[in-house]
Amino acid sequence: MSLLATPLSASRAPSMLVVMASALVLLALCGVAFGSSWIPIDKVAAVILGVGEKTQSLIVLQLRLPRVVIAILAGGGMAVAGFLLQKITRNSLASPGVLGVIDGGALGVVIFLAALSNESNTLVTSIVFQPLAAMVGATVGIAMVFLLSGRQSVSAVRLLLFGIAVGAVAKALVMVMMLIGPIYRTSQAARWIAGAVNEVNWTEIQITALLLLPLLILALAVARKLPPADLDEVSARSVGLDLPVFRILVFAVAAALTAVSVAFVGAIGFVGLMAPHLARLIVGRSMVAGIIGSFLLGAFMLVGADLVVRVLFSPTEVPAGTVTAIIGAPYFLFLLMSKQRDDG
Amino acid sequence: MTANSAPSISIDGLTLTYPGKTVLDSVSLDIPRGKITVLAGPNGCGKSTLLRAIRRLHRPAAGRVLLEEMDVAALSEKALARQIGLLAQNPSAPEDMTVEELVRLGRYPHQTMLQRWDAQDTRALEAAMAGTGVTGLRDRPLGSLSGGQVQRVWIAMVLAQETEIVCLDEPVNHLDLAHQLDCLDLVRQLNAEFGRTVVLVLHDLNLAARYADQLVFMRDGGVAACGTPDELMTEALIAQVFNVDAMIITDPAYGRPLCLPLRTC
Repeated sequence: MSLLATPLSASRAPSMLVVMASALVLLALCGVAFGSSWIPIDKVAAVILGVGEKTQSLIVLQLRLPRVVIAILAGGGMAVAGFLLQKITRNSLASPGVLGVIDGGALGVVIFLAALSNESNTLVTSIVFQPLAAMVGATVGIAMVFLLSGRQSVSAVRLLLFGIAVGAVAKALVMVMMLIGPIYRTSQAARWIAGAVNEVNWTEIQITALLLLPLLILALAVARKLPPADLDEVSARSVGLDLPVFRILVFAVAAALTAVSVAFVGAIGFVGLMAPHLARLIVGRSMVAGIIGSFLLGAFMLVGADLVVRVLFSPTEVPAGTVTAIIGAPYFLFLLMSKQRDDG
Repeated sequence: MTANSAPSISIDGLTLTYPGKTVLDSVSLDIPRGKITVLAGPNGCGKSTLLRAIRRLHRPAAGRVLLEEMDVAALSEKALARQIGLLAQNPSAPEDMTVEELVRLGRYPHQTMLQRWDAQDTRALEAAMAGTGVTGLRDRPLGSLSGGQVQRVWIAMVLAQETEIVCLDEPVNHLDLAHQLDCLDLVRQLNAEFGRTVVLVLHDLNLAARYADQLVFMRDGGVAACGTPDELMTEALIAQVFNVDAMIITDPAYGRPLCLPLRTC
């Protein structure tokens, strides 16, 4: 807790959110402008407003905008999931990545791709069901973590240990499935390992957005009820928060958010860990501002990560998930070590 | 029973089990309205569990808790939180949470989808902070306060809940002598001035005898004895419940019974 500075007064939160949203829009425009050829930002804006040149329209609308939009949706969704998980477990180390949610979702998708591909490596069912498969996998993943940790699920360390164990098993199964299964488009499954936002099409974005929107509204509604979750279990319940019910509700919403976010981009780690921390630092303890701030920052991080890989490694397509991992993993270790110090 | 009206809470044959262990064994007890009831007993006797069971934080295996003649099992979490406040034994909140933020959480059960924070909430918040003397600390983060101050803030939170019944689980556990008296005087003041029914779990028998209207001795998950401090503070009963040979004298300042423990028996 010592990591988190005293929050700013609540009245400053709205203006900070506006600043974050503006920064995200700017970065997103840069994300579209950069690439194998530079398109000036005013031209990008022209295309988005429907008055651009034809070739530029093609590049922007078919190649670059989709990856920026999916990065916003996926990064934001995972960050909100992380925010909810950190709140309900009262643990700053909690995130979709370490609670078995992401790997569970990955396993769900890979099983889906393997089971429903035919001889010629094409999917025999609609791609619409892919997020559903991710949701089932993510929910099974987090449910396993909680069943295994049982009565000790209140203990943060045990929760994390079981989360990492369940995640490792899911990862191993994903590997096995990829090696033995007749998988529709190997790249589709391969990008699951590292997480990448390229090769996303507008259909996939539509599916993601349509599923994500109601989940985000639900997350906001749940979060408004959640302030007592900052307290210990007995105190939270004695001021009237129905913690057993809310715990299940929050885990379900977080699992679904994560699943939908990663269904088409793969296992992007650590955004769900870092974005909520940063949001809290900037907007303070307010739940609603925390959710919105987490979404904006998570989106910012993933758009930024994708921009970094494109600028640094072009023309090779390096998955954006590698950047979030390279920054996120040391940060996680740092948190782990400072937490150990706090605990004595 | 000294209560001049129906009891606030009636516990009726309450049995509570953990896997392989019976923690409360068919406990029946009345909590008189507007009085201070103190639960005391040796470690593991079930006194804290009973307090939490009154607030329905445990699901009983048998029996029931009647709150104003209503089974608490039938009440919603928020409805219950509007009637019974509970201060946990070791409550914890983030260190960077401010005093006012914590006390505000006491108003949580009074807020619904339709009814947001209003003048009544502000009034209750200010009254709770003034009543516990923490108004001057309102913007301070909890991490910067002393143990005694933090305990006052938690009591303020429970007070802001404006419940008829206030339960406190070992509220003076980690406090020094001055803060122990300070805290319990505050509790008695709430009882006397606002007519709150108070249920306290206390470890210290002499503090229990000094503040209780009704004293309850528990042992092995059951009620061993229940009555006024004068009735319960006897050498025979203390030996039987606490396994301690003690001498009971009358404290010269307050006229309450005082227990001088001599040796274990």
